[in-house]
Amino acid sequence: MVKALREEVKRLFEEKKVDLVIGWGKGSIPMTATPIFIRKAEDAEHLIWDETCSNNLAVYLTKDKRQLVKTNQKIGIVVKGCDGRSLVLYAVENQIKRENLVIIGVPCSGVIDKKKVLKQTAGKEVISARFEENRMTVEGRGFKTEIEKSEVLSHSCRNCNHPNAPVYDIFIGEPVKTESVGDVYPEVEAFEKLDSEARWKDMVESYSKCIRCYACRNVCPSCYCTECFVDQNDPQWIGKSPEITDTLIFHLGRNLHVAGRCVECGACERACPADIDLLKLNRKISKEILERFNFTAGLDINEKPAMASFCENEKQDFIMG
Amino acid sequence: MIKIEKSNFVTFIRSLSAEYNLFAPTGEGRQSAFREVKDIKQINSQIQITHNSPKTVFLPQTEILFEFKGDDIQSVQKATKPMFFWGVRSCDARGLNLLDKVMGQSKQRPDDPAFQDPYWKARFDDAIILTLACNEPASTCFCNWTGGNPFSKEAGDLWAVETETAYLIEPISEKGKDFIKKLSGYHTASEKDEQKIKALKKQAESCLQPAVDTKTLKEKLPKIWDDPLWDEVSAKCVNCSACAFICPTCYCFDIQDEGKKGKGKRIRTWDCCMFPIFTKEASGHNPRSLARERVRQRVMHKFNYFWETYGESLCTGCGRCIRVCPVNLDIRDVAKQLLETASAA
Amino acid sequence: MQNTYIPIPMKVDKVVTEDPEKTLRTYDLSFVKNSDLEQFQYLPGQFCEMSLLGMGESPFGIASSPTEEGFLRFTINRTGLVTNEIHNLRQGDTVGLRGPLGNWYPVEDFKGENVVIVGGGFAFTTLRSLLIYLLAHRENYGEITIIYGARNPDLFIYKDELETWLKRTDMKLHLTIDKPVDGWKHDTGFVPAVTEQLAPSAEKAWVVVCGPPVMIKYTLPVLEKLKFPDDRIITSLERRMKCGIGKCGRCNIGSQYVCIDGPVFSLEFLKTIPEAL
Repeated sequence: MVKALREEVKRLFEEKKVDLVIGWGKGSIPMTATPIFIRKAEDAEHLIWDETCSNNLAVYLTKDKRQLVKTNQKIGIVVKGCDGRSLVLYAVENQIKRENLVIIGVPCSGVIDKKKVLKQTAGKEVISARFEENRMTVEGRGFKTEIEKSEVLSHSCRNCNHPNAPVYDIFIGEPVKTESVGDVYPEVEAFEKLDSEARWKDMVESYSKCIRCYACRNVCPSCYCTECFVDQNDPQWIGKSPEITDTLIFHLGRNLHVAGRCVECGACERACPADIDLLKLNRKISKEILERFNFTAGLDINEKPAMASFCENEKQDFIMG
Repeated sequence: MIKIEKSNFVTFIRSLSAEYNLFAPTGEGRQSAFREVKDIKQINSQIQITHNSPKTVFLPQTEILFEFKGDDIQSVQKATKPMFFWGVRSCDARGLNLLDKVMGQSKQRPDDPAFQDPYWKARFDDAIILTLACNEPASTCFCNWTGGNPFSKEAGDLWAVETETAYLIEPISEKGKDFIKKLSGYHTASEKDEQKIKALKKQAESCLQPAVDTKTLKEKLPKIWDDPLWDEVSAKCVNCSACAFICPTCYCFDIQDEGKKGKGKRIRTWDCCMFPIFTKEASGHNPRSLARERVRQRVMHKFNYFWETYGESLCTGCGRCIRVCPVNLDIRDVAKQLLETASAA
Repeated sequence: MQNTYIPIPMKVDKVVTEDPEKTLRTYDLSFVKNSDLEQFQYLPGQFCEMSLLGMGESPFGIASSPTEEGFLRFTINRTGLVTNEIHNLRQGDTVGLRGPLGNWYPVEDFKGENVVIVGGGFAFTTLRSLLIYLLAHRENYGEITIIYGARNPDLFIYKDELETWLKRTDMKLHLTIDKPVDGWKHDTGFVPAVTEQLAPSAEKAWVVVCGPPVMIKYTLPVLEKLKFPDDRIITSLERRMKCGIGKCGRCNIGSQYVCIDGPVFSLEFLKTIPEAL
């Protein structure tokens, strides 16, 4: 599979179909991949594709990274299902020129969350990891353990219904078949069962750990505003310190800004240095949007976003009772 | 060198409580940090290095500088018992000394108290730091690249090493010597213990990757100031502040007023040179508007600017930034790339 | 323990609006506490952080000279949140101040030599401080030449004093505006061009340049052409500042902190810092 990916990318360079390809390479620490930027055919050898390829690379097409992408350059980008949905979102929101992208889809059966692996090893450092069909084997100083991949899959991958990029130019291997059960949100349902006070307590407890590093916002492909509301100082919307009310305004504000646009890739949660369950509220909002508007972000390049369009026959029960 | 049997450790810890507030590694995973402990059970002695460095106590993320009501300013500083820090690794102890050079002292105005940070000094000057040697450095540790060593006695007031059955402790600073003098009832370490230490040190050093001398970056970095390599190095950085916030020696902060004109407080809170708006001026001009300029700034500060001013590396090789970076921007790889390019330049 | 983060209280004694658009206002502040007055020792070139509790702080160069007793003068350009609030201050109001901060013009080195001062717009503040200081110790210095430019006649600051300085015989003041305006009696042209024309001698002379970045950028080559050596070209840098005491890292350029290693630097030194120019 990796070989096929590398060959394809090499071919794209040889046929002068791309100026730059963004993909994943082997990271410098175990269980980690890293974004790489390939500008010539021979560098395609550095590409990898496995369960560690968790970064959503679409983020490198916008924000400050716009200057990586000079106008009218042809860019190849390797995407999982969720990443591919970000690209559809970009096309819908006019952030990219579709004809300048060469979308390379890869079949994804989920990426791992390193923090979960460390829970399985009781915090002992993993020096090497190997992946098989449903298992991974991790080794460290004085131990070797086999772990079920399902136990350490990233939160976002557990109930994923969109493992394949919805739009692509090239697909490496065969798209993953899913048993269509519709989108499911078990942890959100647990949250919904809580009453108002308990929900507030839950949120305060989670978000008190936040150190406001903004890693979540910066790795999120849906967050591409050139000036984020938290960085404005005239008016200043929130304070800079991790005081819980300011922190909640940041997170809730951000969640609302990506409402109907979040592709649930989980990059935010994986980036968080404080281990906060960031995806939960985003998925709550996604569930609401699915129920109210029958809309899921990033699937249809011709569908207007739910929060940017109005249909007369939408549910109005919050007004009419 | 005194020897405290692990069975006696509880007594030792309890004896500190009269004079000191005890701080030690607590918590697990990414919540591990140095916190005040009242009970020995709170101490996590399994942890190789805490996710959050002791910087979080000496230079807390948010700190109230003063409160005000109308024109009346009230200081919020309170006198407390001095702190005893148990279990600080040598990289972190070095880190605290480096921070002290900036916060507690002033290179540009030595001996002028107007240029010393009173909040830092109130916490650091009387604190006792016990540097605990690393028997098992992690694969991300690279203190040996920055002139450090897992068994280094360069920083801290006391130095200790853990054997299977005991802690062996010796003083480093004058403060440490005074502290040891006050202890009684502990055996001195034996010749056998000394041999043990040598063996543990050798084993610890074998865990580390071969050192790459980052000291030479001091001369070499200015040569490649404009090199296109910086574009490559900074390409994947997403400009969050995870690395700076977790770093034991990053100290940049912002000062903000909170409240309204009648009543409120002036606080300082961690800031980061990686944020795009860090250097943005009122006119809109931003001297570091590009990611390459910001990544370059951070690397230069650690491996060149601090050398220029203080004759030391600001990076202690603790490896936290490597573990926390969401895109795996590994400072070791960056240092190697820079050395290669600079040597060829 | 001394706490330089805590501002001292100052009283607004006088407010002068410098221009018809009301973007520039000059404030004369006096010390509320006598002990603060006694402790405040400064030299031309230094700055203070003016503090509005609840709003924030902003750094301003001290426009008064230490030889002018009892008050400190600042000219503030209304440009952001804090400066907007400062512009609302009236006579009798209190405001916080931290200082004196930064380093100063090397007035000791200037002794016995000629001093050329080149200024632009409202960056003339610390240059006023320098000029008054030099005039107060006139016998210590050689020829004093000033080239001061503004976009138009309205945007000069300290207009009353400019009039008296024009009349003095122990210094030469040249005023210039960017484009011709009816009734303007002095020079016309950008500061770099006018400096080149006037060609002040570099012999036994120092030159101090302060102004907007673009003015400095084009004036420096002129000064080099006039054979001023790099170590005798002095300038004052501006950067976003917060703590003012070399701790918070905001104003860091290279190994230097503008708030404490500067803001006064020689061109010779700036050339060693890649990010500075």
